[in-house]
Amino acid sequence: MPTSTMPLDTKGAGDTGSLPAVRAPRFNWTRGVVVLLTCLAIFLPLFLVFYQSVLSAPFFMPDKVLGLDAFRFIFDDPDFWLAFKNGMLLASGLAAIAVPLGGMLAFLMVRTDLPGRGWIAPLLLVPIFVSPMVMGFGYVVSMGPVGFYSTWVHELIGIVPWNVYSFTSIVVIAGLTHVPHVYLYASSALKSLGSDVEEAARVSGASPWQVMFNVSLPMIMPALAYAGVLVFFLGFEVFGLVLVLGDPEGHLVLATYLYKLTNKLGTPSYHLMAAVAVCLVAVTMPLVMLQRWLLKSANKYVSIKGKGARQKPLPLGKWKWVALAVLGAWILVTVVLPLSGIVLRSFVQYWGEGVKLADVLTLQHFRDIFDEPSLVRGIVNTILIGVIGGALAVACYTAIALAMHRKNDGITRLLDYSVLVPRAVPGLLAGLSFLWVFLFVPSWLDGLLHGMDNVVAAWLSEHFIPLLRQIRSTIFALWLAYSVVWLAYGMRLVSTSLLQVGPELEEAARAAGASRGRVTRDVTLPLIKFGMLGAWLMVFLIFEREYSTGVYLLSPGTEVIGAMLVSLWAGGSTDLVAALSFINITLVAIGLGIALRFGVKLHN
Amino acid sequence: MNVLTVNDLHLDYGHGATANPILKGVSMHLQRGEVVALLGPSGSGKTTLLRAVAGLETPKSGTIDIGERRVFDGARKLELPAEARNLGLVFQSYALWPHKTVFDNVAYGLKLRKLGARDIEPKVREVLAQLGLGHLGERFPHQLSGGQQQRVAIARALVYNPPVILLDEPLSNLDAKLREEARAFLRELIVRLGLSALMVTHDQAEAMAISDRILLLNNGKIEQQGSPQSMYESPDTLFTAEFMGSNNRLPARVVARNGGAARVQVEGMALNATARGNGAPDLDGTALIRVEEVRIGRDPVDNGIKLPLSTCMYLGDRWECLFKHGNASVRAYSKHRVDPGNYWLEMPAEKLWVF
Repeated sequence: MPTSTMPLDTKGAGDTGSLPAVRAPRFNWTRGVVVLLTCLAIFLPLFLVFYQSVLSAPFFMPDKVLGLDAFRFIFDDPDFWLAFKNGMLLASGLAAIAVPLGGMLAFLMVRTDLPGRGWIAPLLLVPIFVSPMVMGFGYVVSMGPVGFYSTWVHELIGIVPWNVYSFTSIVVIAGLTHVPHVYLYASSALKSLGSDVEEAARVSGASPWQVMFNVSLPMIMPALAYAGVLVFFLGFEVFGLVLVLGDPEGHLVLATYLYKLTNKLGTPSYHLMAAVAVCLVAVTMPLVMLQRWLLKSANKYVSIKGKGARQKPLPLGKWKWVALAVLGAWILVTVVLPLSGIVLRSFVQYWGEGVKLADVLTLQHFRDIFDEPSLVRGIVNTILIGVIGGALAVACYTAIALAMHRKNDGITRLLDYSVLVPRAVPGLLAGLSFLWVFLFVPSWLDGLLHGMDNVVAAWLSEHFIPLLRQIRSTIFALWLAYSVVWLAYGMRLVSTSLLQVGPELEEAARAAGASRGRVTRDVTLPLIKFGMLGAWLMVFLIFEREYSTGVYLLSPGTEVIGAMLVSLWAGGSTDLVAALSFINITLVAIGLGIALRFGVKLHN
Repeated sequence: MNVLTVNDLHLDYGHGATANPILKGVSMHLQRGEVVALLGPSGSGKTTLLRAVAGLETPKSGTIDIGERRVFDGARKLELPAEARNLGLVFQSYALWPHKTVFDNVAYGLKLRKLGARDIEPKVREVLAQLGLGHLGERFPHQLSGGQQQRVAIARALVYNPPVILLDEPLSNLDAKLREEARAFLRELIVRLGLSALMVTHDQAEAMAISDRILLLNNGKIEQQGSPQSMYESPDTLFTAEFMGSNNRLPARVVARNGGAARVQVEGMALNATARGNGAPDLDGTALIRVEEVRIGRDPVDNGIKLPLSTCMYLGDRWECLFKHGNASVRAYSKHRVDPGNYWLEMPAEKLWVF
């Protein structure tokens, strides 16, 4: 071979450098630490809940013994069974309302030439990003007995034709506000469905409604089934709406029953709360696993759908205005009425029959908020936990996703299931269990150190343990609970972008001489940069919205708007709740605006 | 000197009861300055073998040496990771990093080898110039045509002077017209730079055009290896003969055999044929002849059969004619259009093979 003509070779191998010496394959420490911390953050709180539920008294009491007394107590309590039954009713009713409506909305938005789809689409997502606590409050001030719209209707026709405090109303409201969840899944399934199957039905003589009921919706049945289980599950977890709307007539569900248990016995009844929590998780955990199974089979179904080629909207013809009216009515009831109620209420001094709006306008509530240091802290904390906490959470989610990325082994499968576990734990419960972690772990460690009886242990017990105890009243505690509660959601955001990185891009880097770590830094992370930014924005939105997780972690220093709303509502300060709700909605709106401006996909 | 040696390599997908053997004892070597093509139908394990050499798949047993260095030894549980093998790899999809410019794509391997920016710059410029990409350094991959992307992928694999460059179906992503040009370009480049290359392809024409030696894989084993000419002109097995060219298969009965010469019965005619391979041919077997070796004539010939014309297809530079009667059908090329009727199809004894 004429190697003399080879310009690259004439310089010799030394010129092109050589690869760093190979180290013997060793334990991947980074991955080990990530896996360990993840499992600790997921399972320690859950373990404490289970442990506490089989004690006869709170875990810090000296006279506790193992036993099933807590379960016996709540099973004997008629309120528990009432709450359980209500929860089931609420979840089923909610699914029965949300699934058909969500499917229809998705069909109208994705497959038809409905006018104004462009500006309707973001409005449809509003109920997902507004805290249910705020929504519930919105219904109270707009449609409650002395709400704005109730009084106006009363002046007009003499009666108020609704009662938002009845259980039926709660179910209907919960159903309507959960329509977007179904809409998201149904619309993404419809988008991957070729329009040829619908055109075939039109050519055979089907009207738009017949196309929808006979072709489109049956073809996305797996997605609808998944969405149905999802909203049933969300319905079982509903807390804020029932807390606000169910209080006047005493309607309880399991989450509010748990919340009210605090006051039931006067003393901290942690063992009873834990028993209720175990019952809740016993229902939600199978639902989460069912969702996972359904999602898998739904994905299998994707490949046999029609060609996902060009999509031509279906002309609605004369049905256009009927469809628009249905959609408009839903938006009016679910978005416009509650939100406008909150905006109005936050700018009026008081409200009742015969009061003129112009006479009572005021900014006093906002001045009150800014005079109260804990509320100001709450607002600052809410922004911080959304912006900085959101970024940190996305960084953690990415680290976990990378620990599972392209590694098909037992640890990956373990993580795969583990990250789903927090989904089954409602926020209220997660906050409670993290409170227990921060109470339990330092005292347990302290006991351990005292038992060791040496200098190091004594020093640690004196300096380290107090630090650990302080964590509970820092915003870190709250951030940790938030991040774990939304782990499954955040992981899905990150792994969606990771899935789009072709394996050969990483293999090419390895063949060029990059170690696994370098491949991650130089290829994988730069490629998912935009996906991570999008995830940050989404996590910001849900952290702004979150309210129940902070309820039990609320202490001076850890105030956030969501938890403050719950505690202020319990104290009856409607004015402050209105103004805080308004601020919360504004923060969410800013986030949504940025997301829309930069074209972040609000769902996948 | 061998730059790459593979010895008795076994590889399964999955393990335990669900194990699916992909490579069943493959041995091969690659000499300095040689181009070897791994050829085979899909599922024959050729890409898996390439990826095992690159360190992207883990074999079950066997050894792989790159130069003097052992990079895989199943018995000693030695496995060097892909990044430590110092090989150049060109992917079928090119796998250019979309967030790096052409220059940065090519420079990455040098950066990993801790070269300073001052040393990297001229090297990258040189290799880009050699591949005719000198002016495209600042572009991003999505701004290039398919052919340019492919050359960037080759430049990226060459720049750090690997002892062996591995090419995974390098031409299959190009459209048919471009592929022929790229084939000539690739062959010329390999010869000009004196590269040692291992190339995977499923196209026998491509394999013959580019490589010095062909390894034909069948179902995880090497069926036959040799120079393109020997593979095409003297195949040892029916599989090799069928894979390497376009053929006529004729139902035949072997009536006599004398060393390499055989006498067969085809369509009632006794023909002289050549026995290939090691095993004794079946009595009832298949006779094979390349389409281009059949000669069409009006007059009776010694070693031929008589068949009526069925149809003719115009291919541009020639006609392909189908002759058919009963079970027997024969294709042959003709310079001119062939009129309907009966023809004598002559099959030279040294080109009519039985296995």
